[in-house]
Amino acid sequence: MRDIEPLSPAQVDALPLPPGRKSFFKKLVQQKTLVFMSVPFLIWLFIFKYMPLWGWTIAFQDFRANRKVFDQHWVGWKHFKFLFQDEHFFLVLRNTLAMSFINLVLGFFTAITLAILLNELRNIAFKRVVQTISYLPHFISWVVAASIISTVLSADGGIINELLMAVGLIKEPILWLGVGKYFWGILGASEVWKNVGWNTIIYLAAITTIDPAQYEAAEIDGAGRFQRIWHVTVPGLKPVFIILLIMNIGSLLESGFEPQYLLGNGMNVDYSENLDIFVLKYGIQMGNFSLSIAAGMFKTVVSFILLFSANHIAKRLGEDRLF
Amino acid sequence: MKRKVWLSCLSAVLVVSLLAGCSKSADKESPSASATDGGTKKEEKVTFTYFNAAAGKDKNTNETTIGKILEEQTGVNFKLEHLVGDENTKVGTFIASNAYPDVIVPGNSIDKLVGAGAFIPLNDLIDKYGPNIKRVYEPYYNLMKAADGNIYFLPMSAIVGDYLPAPNVDQGAFWIQRRVLKEAGYPKIKTLDEYLNLIRDYTKKHAEEKLTGYLALTTQDKFFAFTNAPMHLAGYPNDGGVIVDMKTHKANDYGDDDITKRYLQELNKLNAEGLFDKSSFVDNYDQYLAKIASGKVLGFFDYRWQAGQALSNLHEAAVKSGNDDLEYIGLPIVYDKDTKDQYLDPPSFVNNRGIGISISAKDPERIVRFFDNLLTDENQILSNWGIKDQTYKVDDKGRFYRPAEMVTETNAEAFRESFGFKYFEYNWPRYGNGSTLPDGNSAGAGRQPEVAQMSYTEGDKKLLQEYDIKSFSGLFAAPDDRPWYPAWSIPVEQGSPAQIFTQKKGDLQRKYFPKLVLAGANEFDGLWEEYFKEFNKLDVKVYEDLITAEVAKKIENAEGKK
Repeated sequence: MRDIEPLSPAQVDALPLPPGRKSFFKKLVQQKTLVFMSVPFLIWLFIFKYMPLWGWTIAFQDFRANRKVFDQHWVGWKHFKFLFQDEHFFLVLRNTLAMSFINLVLGFFTAITLAILLNELRNIAFKRVVQTISYLPHFISWVVAASIISTVLSADGGIINELLMAVGLIKEPILWLGVGKYFWGILGASEVWKNVGWNTIIYLAAITTIDPAQYEAAEIDGAGRFQRIWHVTVPGLKPVFIILLIMNIGSLLESGFEPQYLLGNGMNVDYSENLDIFVLKYGIQMGNFSLSIAAGMFKTVVSFILLFSANHIAKRLGEDRLF
Repeated sequence: MKRKVWLSCLSAVLVVSLLAGCSKSADKESPSASATDGGTKKEEKVTFTYFNAAAGKDKNTNETTIGKILEEQTGVNFKLEHLVGDENTKVGTFIASNAYPDVIVPGNSIDKLVGAGAFIPLNDLIDKYGPNIKRVYEPYYNLMKAADGNIYFLPMSAIVGDYLPAPNVDQGAFWIQRRVLKEAGYPKIKTLDEYLNLIRDYTKKHAEEKLTGYLALTTQDKFFAFTNAPMHLAGYPNDGGVIVDMKTHKANDYGDDDITKRYLQELNKLNAEGLFDKSSFVDNYDQYLAKIASGKVLGFFDYRWQAGQALSNLHEAAVKSGNDDLEYIGLPIVYDKDTKDQYLDPPSFVNNRGIGISISAKDPERIVRFFDNLLTDENQILSNWGIKDQTYKVDDKGRFYRPAEMVTETNAEAFRESFGFKYFEYNWPRYGNGSTLPDGNSAGAGRQPEVAQMSYTEGDKKLLQEYDIKSFSGLFAAPDDRPWYPAWSIPVEQGSPAQIFTQKKGDLQRKYFPKLVLAGANEFDGLWEEYFKEFNKLDVKVYEDLITAEVAKKIENAEGKK
């Protein structure tokens, strides 16, 4: 069975580069079981990730579902032009990026902080309770969450307004969801509330991989608790952090759909409408699939560029990276 | 080695199961081949799928009393599926996958479905299997035919027999709580000023009750309930985004007109006085309904069928308590004293709603025969009135009626679901609202004067008496003849400039209308100027021209045939 034992990355790196095609096939035959096992996943990958790319052709047509492929009207870059010439598009793009950026920064900051705090807890029962409670909102559907949020922020009897009024900070209730400027903040806070517990899982896992000997050494060297966090835990989290950061930068154009759709309204539309909602309104709801695909292609290309540049920068800085 | 073999088997199984998962299961409940050769034999039972783009409970029709009887007649059962979420998204996925339910009743996505070729043409099938369909719909063929001459769906508003107007307000109105009228001594009011002043007076007198003076519905796709109000105030029926001039028959988008400005300005004033519910612009539909049902709201504009759930709740509560103070009455409010109100629908043919058979249906002939069977007088009585002596009675003159307890029973939501009225009185090929049977009875129970009278509570009767009317629609002026009505039913091509205009207009209004209403009095004019400029940057002419042209066509059609 030795022949199918997987090699660790270090071993793979250490192997001498095979000279040419012959040895490639030799290896292929040698590892045929492995190859065979990966076939289903390759097929899956091909069917679900590559075949749909054929659909990109729709972006260059005036697509009608009942026409055959060869009867479609080809229109070149028309739908891309519509996108980029619409002044609204850039507003939407700004909102998308801003909301993603806020979610990214807040998400990382809060998750890492919470993970470190949880790790420092000595009372296991308390730790578990906190973890469970902070996970829970993650499992609530956005539809329900949005109702909760709009009730909490409501101008007639919402708890936030009541609280602020009781403390005397405001004189009359504020229509939180009716002021565009507040929207990004509300969204950021909601995302944190909903996902912070979930996001800590990976960091807690990463912390457990840190060698306890490092803490002991630090302690012997006279490091206090905060110094140990700063000099041992945080550097230990860095590789995970960088990988996640690269992946998240790749999806900067995905700022989510449900919260913006459900919490958005005419009064905050200048801040709440993002790319996905724009595509829904002008693409899918109008039966204009071509426009949706064009926007999708645009997103893919931008994400691709972002991902590769983030990865490249990480490489240049000598950090861990995705590939 | 053994293990290797085992492993390769495993991966082979994986591959196979993967492929199996992709291939569509071919033998999916194919409607058991109809055993009819001559049509004399009792046909095998079949179940078809039916999608209705409105919210509701999913059910099999044969689980209802009416559906069971129809199944005995035809052997056909329908598995009803209702909409959850957004219609256009749902229909979009039907189209993208090219797999449809057998029968579809779309809402505003109907043009999309027709455009995508989702429906089969019905012309030949009707000729062969639908004598009753032909009888009911033939007068309207001109209005039903698509540009290619085919009929793709059967609308639901073909009027059979003489036209009978509705006794109760089932369309738009300015609603006001009855206690407001009661306290003011049941004044006859007509103008918006009078209406709003009544509300002002009442809230002033009852300042401690924390009442909401005026509420509006603006959420998502129900925004039209806000933008339509100026049109009605100016004395026009619901033509959607346009007003059609009675003489020139030209369509005009009133979004940038003075009538819209005036409505917004009135609301702006109301807001400054603290009488307008600011949350109107952020509340969702459920919150809106809950507010009305709470009984704290004095007035609002909406369509009966849209606020219906909340109004019914209040009605049920009033029946229980015997006090109808919190119930509403719909008033035909206009801007000026000498404007004639036009809230009631003229007899009209809505030709962009209906029921169609999809290309996925395996046995369209059977479905058409089911439709045809529905359109007999007997089955129309069954789906609207129910079963004699169970859900309606016939007096010695042959008039249908319902005694008080039957009215209560048949109005109860649970009964309507189990008996099937809820599923059969609309959303199928039918005699349109206002149709009459050959013996003079109303086809729909709701329009039979005897039934309407019987369903009035003591409070209703008192109110009717105070205003000296027989039924609630008595307050409203009779509708003028408008052959193009309703203009909102004119199809706008998917993705066309006219459609993009309506979307952009909606976006613009959603953004500016809240601002205009909530702004300080001195900012209003400046904001309106800004909005006006933005509005006229849009291609409004394309849209107006399209509607004007289609209106002209509809008028020609109507004149050409009758």
